[in-house]
Amino acid sequence: MELSLVDILATQRNRHPLLFIDKITDVSPGEYATAIKNYTYNEWYFPSHFEDDPNVPGFIQIESLVQTFLMTFLTLDGMAGNKTNFLKIDNASFKRKIVPGDVSTINATLESFKRGIAKGYAESSVDGNKTCSANFLVSVPSILETYRPK
Amino acid sequence: MSKLETYREIFKECFQYDGDVEKLEYQQIEEWDSVAHMQLMAVLEEKFDIELDIDDIIDFSGFKVGIDILKKYDLVIE
Repeated sequence: MELSLVDILATQRNRHPLLFIDKITDVSPGEYATAIKNYTYNEWYFPSHFEDDPNVPGFIQIESLVQTFLMTFLTLDGMAGNKTNFLKIDNASFKRKIVPGDVSTINATLESFKRGIAKGYAESSVDGNKTCSANFLVSVPSILETYRPK
Repeated sequence: MSKLETYREIFKECFQYDGDVEKLEYQQIEEWDSVAHMQLMAVLEEKFDIELDIDDIIDFSGFKVGIDILKKYDLVIE
């Protein structure tokens, strides 16, 4: 299943200037999602990071990974529009700079989603070369709240 | 290791707590918040090979209460 930017906006809560995926090229709810992000010099951070060597800041690369990861479970029935929080980022690894003109492909896999806690992995690549990867633990506070002891 | 020792260790590890875990109750310490509660439930399920009901997760408000709840799953923590 493919999702447009409008579909992405309807599914998760990140907005410009903090939305870092353009399109979902394939998603299987509860299993995996693949996204693409087109980087152009018009991105707001390139002029300052850095003037003489524009490249994508690491935190934005991580955010693009997790935004793709969110699509693995926010596409499940009844989950669209939920707010999410980071719980943990493990094994973050950066292999190559991303520069204006690059098209990043991000593959995210959901390992488990239970009682509002999602666990999984995502990695990105440009032209088949790995750029960044990390493991994530993300919560959905509205679901966690329903399991809170009274 | 006895089930009680395993149960104690789970609490210590989940909350990174060196005090007397047997007196612990939900939100008594900063570390036992709603997120840690879900992690505690997940570890208990994994270690004791059970699947907790929603009502039991909500009622699981302390170390001692938890021992009573686990009896429903044929687990005698002693």
